[in-house]
Amino acid sequence: MATDLVPGVAPDTPKTARPRAPRVARKNPARRLALLLRHRWLYLMLLPGVAYFLVFKYWPMYGLHIAFKDYIPFLGYSGSPWVGLKHFEELFTGGDFGRLMANTLILALLTIVFVFPAPIVVALLLNEVRVSVLKRSVQSLIYIPHFLSWTIVASLTYLLFSADFGVLAGFINDIVGGQRADYVAQEEWFRPLIILQLLWKQTGWGTIIYLAALASVDQQLYEAARVDGAGRWRQLWHITLPAIRPAIVVMAILTSGNIMDTGFEQIWLMTTSLNRPVSEVFDTYVYYIGITQGGFSYATAVGLFKGVVGVFLIVGSNWLAKRLGQRGLY
Amino acid sequence: MNRRRRLLAGALALSTALGLAACGEEEKAASFDTITVMTRLFGTAPDPNGEMQQAIQKLIGKKLDITWVPNADYGDKLNVTLASNNIPDVLVADEKAPAFVQAATAGAFWDLTGKLDKYPNLKAADERTALNSSINGKIYGIYRVRPVLRSAVMLRKDWLAKLGLQEPQSVDDLYNVAKAFTEQDPDGNGKKDTYGLIIPKWPGNYASSSPYDTIETWFGAPNGWGERNGKLVQGFDTEEFYTANRWLKKWVDEGLVNKDFATLDSANWNDAFVQGKGGIIIDVNVRGTDLSVRMKEKDPKSFDKVTMVGNLKRSDGQKFSLPFTGYNNVLAISKQRVRTEEQLDDVLTTLDKLQSKEGSALLTNGIDGRNYKLEDGKAVLINQDDPAVKVVQNDVDKAFIQIGTRASVGLGQYPFKFPDESTQKLFDLRDTLMNEDLKTAVYNPALPVIAPTLVSKGQTLNLIIPDARLKYLSGQITEEQLRAEVKRWYESGGTEVTQETNDLVSKLPK
Repeated sequence: MATDLVPGVAPDTPKTARPRAPRVARKNPARRLALLLRHRWLYLMLLPGVAYFLVFKYWPMYGLHIAFKDYIPFLGYSGSPWVGLKHFEELFTGGDFGRLMANTLILALLTIVFVFPAPIVVALLLNEVRVSVLKRSVQSLIYIPHFLSWTIVASLTYLLFSADFGVLAGFINDIVGGQRADYVAQEEWFRPLIILQLLWKQTGWGTIIYLAALASVDQQLYEAARVDGAGRWRQLWHITLPAIRPAIVVMAILTSGNIMDTGFEQIWLMTTSLNRPVSEVFDTYVYYIGITQGGFSYATAVGLFKGVVGVFLIVGSNWLAKRLGQRGLY
Repeated sequence: MNRRRRLLAGALALSTALGLAACGEEEKAASFDTITVMTRLFGTAPDPNGEMQQAIQKLIGKKLDITWVPNADYGDKLNVTLASNNIPDVLVADEKAPAFVQAATAGAFWDLTGKLDKYPNLKAADERTALNSSINGKIYGIYRVRPVLRSAVMLRKDWLAKLGLQEPQSVDDLYNVAKAFTEQDPDGNGKKDTYGLIIPKWPGNYASSSPYDTIETWFGAPNGWGERNGKLVQGFDTEEFYTANRWLKKWVDEGLVNKDFATLDSANWNDAFVQGKGGIIIDVNVRGTDLSVRMKEKDPKSFDKVTMVGNLKRSDGQKFSLPFTGYNNVLAISKQRVRTEEQLDDVLTTLDKLQSKEGSALLTNGIDGRNYKLEDGKAVLINQDDPAVKVVQNDVDKAFIQIGTRASVGLGQYPFKFPDESTQKLFDLRDTLMNEDLKTAVYNPALPVIAPTLVSKGQTLNLIIPDARLKYLSGQITEEQLRAEVKRWYESGGTEVTQETNDLVSKLPK
């Protein structure tokens, strides 16, 4: 089961082969400087990247402290009064929190159950297709939706599913009969529609990474397995799946960091007055409170909470992955 | 990352950067050669070097640097702008929006209370409206006047005629018309494919002049706030509110309303009417003219298909009409660059020139002799086939009219003369209906005030009632649940809002 069966995805070179500075060097300042100088071009190349993160990712975080203030832009950061944890208290004790948490988690759970495995399944299926032209054309066709914006996807959904003129809604009605349902307005259809949209839009694109992993599997393994009498299923189970397991784990960890990220645009565009109780999630709530209603401090508090939870989730799942004997993200 | 979140992150980042930068920056007291303005836009942004802007700049003797923001995004953009350190000198703002109230009371905008009287064209034409546009009695902007009574019912005239129906006068008449429009095949195609009323989902809060609010007023519910037993209560806490919605729910249940009313975007409001799918629209009377123009575009030969009636009587004969606020947003002046009283005077003098008779005509009618000419004191459109003139006309109608404070009520500009009789008649009808309905107008006594709790908690409070109302109408919740939602409003902060509103109104100058 070890991953070293698969050269392509196990790039770990033997430790002795990697050139390393002697351990004493780290302790000796002069040696350290020499080391720095020796790799000066590498460090120089590092600079723009570091600057980018400092300016665009870390400096803006300074603004997060308005979550602990009653921020009024005109008074500025220094002029706005500190209010401590008031906004967090309001968030946790207010009527919205439970609903937001539930909606966010349910959508995340549905995504993990239905959307996450979909590209794996499709990639495995495509991998079994032996006609190269067919394989490629199917692959191209299914990733095209990825390039459409959520606005277009949402408009299409409305066109297909609304009560008055929805083509698909009418079609379903003809088959099932009864009162014509307004799928885009009803609470109970919100989540299925979101998942369907995600599947339609993202599955094809997601297969790319798995197909890349699959492409690097050594064909000799399959030949050897066939000689040993393994059928298609055996080969899938014992060669293909282990081969892409690292890719799956990494993708899973990355996904776990985004559990609180339900994807703003999609949800926002699909939200109506009628489905708000199930559709409002942290992302849309932050936008609504912060930008639409101008509650900057409160929105920042919500966003900060969400971000902290996200960090915990990604660290936690990485730890879990390592615990289970997989190579984690870091 | 997606665009919207980036916007938010960007806005926060930007405000950080600018907030820090602002400390060291000291603006010199310079005279204003250029005035920066932010306002609403209904089409494509005019060219800063275009004919219209040149003409306006010539009139006021200053340059204008205008940020045009699409109307649909205006609220968002206003909030983001307020959070930045780049507030324009003159800003069109909803003076009751929480972010604006906070900024204004913190001192970001000039308090103009008592300062406008020496500018003849900025002086409030109506003291009550000026008070309504204030924040708890303090005036932070020059209100953009609008007709007070704009609510009306637009109907398909040809459908009424075909079915032998009269124009409705009461809510019961309207019901019968809607029923006939739905069941008696008014378009004569042999199919039952029409319905009565067309309503969109409404983007605004409760009491934001939606068709729902209009109907509730007809039934006697207060317009926003109303007095019951000596205290001010929210309109949705009255039995009339429930009666009105029960009545409208019956329409929905019987299929007299477009099925997708809960999701129909108000941008597509006219479509079903013009396409002959639905026959009634309850909205501002300007929509009548709008519909007539669209009908003409569709069929230039026979387009006289729109008629209009005013507010309707209740079954017992009593009539209540829904007035609007009499204004729409204010022009606020930022203190960021306009620092001293002299600079303020400079800006106000310029605005006074802009809102003069000549300026109003320019902002509302356009350039005399270029896109219109005067005929018996009325503006007649000319040269409309010339592409350059079309640009001028568009710039006026979709953009520059938005920086005028005296547009659309005949205080400054010339009334229009329409090329066809039916649109003209519809246009003239507005005044008649308005004067009639003003007699029964139900005013909102709480307009001048804004409760502090609404400023801090409005974000979570404002959606409760409109959402619950829509859910009730579409049958997703029962009347009991609707009442429970009203209770939830009180529990989430509404009790404080009610208390504060009562206190503030009692302190207002009578």
